[in-house]
Amino acid sequence: MAPTTKTNKELFVNGILNENPIFRLALSMCPAVGISTSVMNGLLLGIAVLFVQVFSSCTIALIKDYIHPRIRIPTYTLTIATWVTVIDLVLAAYVPVAYKAMGIFVKLIVAFAIITMRLEMFACKNTVTASFWDGLGMGLGFMFAMMTLGFVRELLGMGTLLGYDILGFRPLLFFALPAAGFFLVGLMMAMFNYIEVVYNRRKKGL
Amino acid sequence: MKQILRITIGLTISCLIAGSIMGLVFTITAKAKKHNEHLNVQETMLALLGYTKANPAPSDLRFHSVYRYIIEDGEAKYIGYMVPVKKGATEGYELVVINLAGKFVEKLEVPISPEAAIEEGERETALKTVLRHPKTFTYADTTIIARLGDKQLAYLLPGEFPGFKTFISVMLALDPNFKILGLEIMEHEEDPGLGAEIEQEYFKNQFKGKSFEKVKRLKVIKEPLPDKYKRYLETKKWKKGMFSEQEIESIRSKYQDHDIYALTGATISSRSVTNGVKNIIKKFAYRMGKLNKVIASQHIAVTF
Repeated sequence: MAPTTKTNKELFVNGILNENPIFRLALSMCPAVGISTSVMNGLLLGIAVLFVQVFSSCTIALIKDYIHPRIRIPTYTLTIATWVTVIDLVLAAYVPVAYKAMGIFVKLIVAFAIITMRLEMFACKNTVTASFWDGLGMGLGFMFAMMTLGFVRELLGMGTLLGYDILGFRPLLFFALPAAGFFLVGLMMAMFNYIEVVYNRRKKGL
Repeated sequence: MKQILRITIGLTISCLIAGSIMGLVFTITAKAKKHNEHLNVQETMLALLGYTKANPAPSDLRFHSVYRYIIEDGEAKYIGYMVPVKKGATEGYELVVINLAGKFVEKLEVPISPEAAIEEGERETALKTVLRHPKTFTYADTTIIARLGDKQLAYLLPGEFPGFKTFISVMLALDPNFKILGLEIMEHEEDPGLGAEIEQEYFKNQFKGKSFEKVKRLKVIKEPLPDKYKRYLETKKWKKGMFSEQEIESIRSKYQDHDIYALTGATISSRSVTNGVKNIIKKFAYRMGKLNKVIASQHIAVTF
């Protein structure tokens, strides 16, 4: 695949909408189902993924010429693991407040499909700048998806938002359970696909 | 062959680079990280005793640490308690050695100051001067005893047990009758949204107020947590006038002897915490009973 011809802005929007990691690419479904029980969880995991994705994408784009093609996947994993460890240690040492909230999310990231996929599909073929914007878009897209899921699940499951009582009762406890994550992700995917169909039809009509 | 060699060398170099970066960051951050952990432990200890910024700890609150060591002398095994003792006006440390049946063996003076005793390395050097070859010793755990004036306030027990993924480390506060005063989750790696809920107030506060008798037969039940009890447990979200004193008393007495409600979707994590806490308290109560007997019979002038 040749380097991308998209502009930085297109790359950025691409990650959030057209190629949203969860709703369009169907990657990293484990956290999408397991962790998106509240908006706060979604936000924290989103931030953690955003940082690791951007840093790893830039690193791989920088060293792509020196990676032997046979060992590219181990190299990606090593890069991600290094960044995860570095971020974890730095947070623990200098920002203990953030570490208390984010610690478990950062440690979870090493095995995320979305980050490895973006390195394989994009960063190893493109420049640092393009990879940076792609990583930023993908990270934000992941955060957006997690927060959307969290919003629905927290509101319907617990009747709260960001821990504040909104409804005063719990409409459907089912939404707080992992199984509801599957249904919700499925519904959101259907919605995104439907939007695409409608969008394409309109474009043809014009 | 050439390919294999290139791959091997490439992988080795990548691993070495990644390893050295991680090692470098670790050495740079280690000191600050340790300092933060220490602060965190201090804060947690005060919070478990009910002292916050709004309600600061009184000036005569003292913490005394007892360090437990396993001592091996050939085939024989002993337990050594490094206890703080009064030496005139100052404080020192003595090593009380007990055999496995709880009988007193010997009493040794440890040349170490209370400030230096906080560091594990310093303790080891000091202990090596009293426990000579062929005796070997390994560090087991620490108990912190909080004292307010001339009254024993609480035991603070740091502990660790396996959770769903890795170890969960906790800090328990017990009153002198081994009733649970509070539980704090210090570090864990359970899954967010599921097992990580163990650090939520509505889970960990369920342990508060459980008597030693109840803890011995504490179980986890898979029933939904009643709404009213949940609101009662989330003390940080309490608003003024949310519960009358009578209500608090009635909820407290109703659930005091109740088992632990499992977390939704995280029964294993709930069980590990409950069993872990149970084990820590049971073992601690057994050991403390033996140690107190020895201290009384040998007239050891402990500070706690």
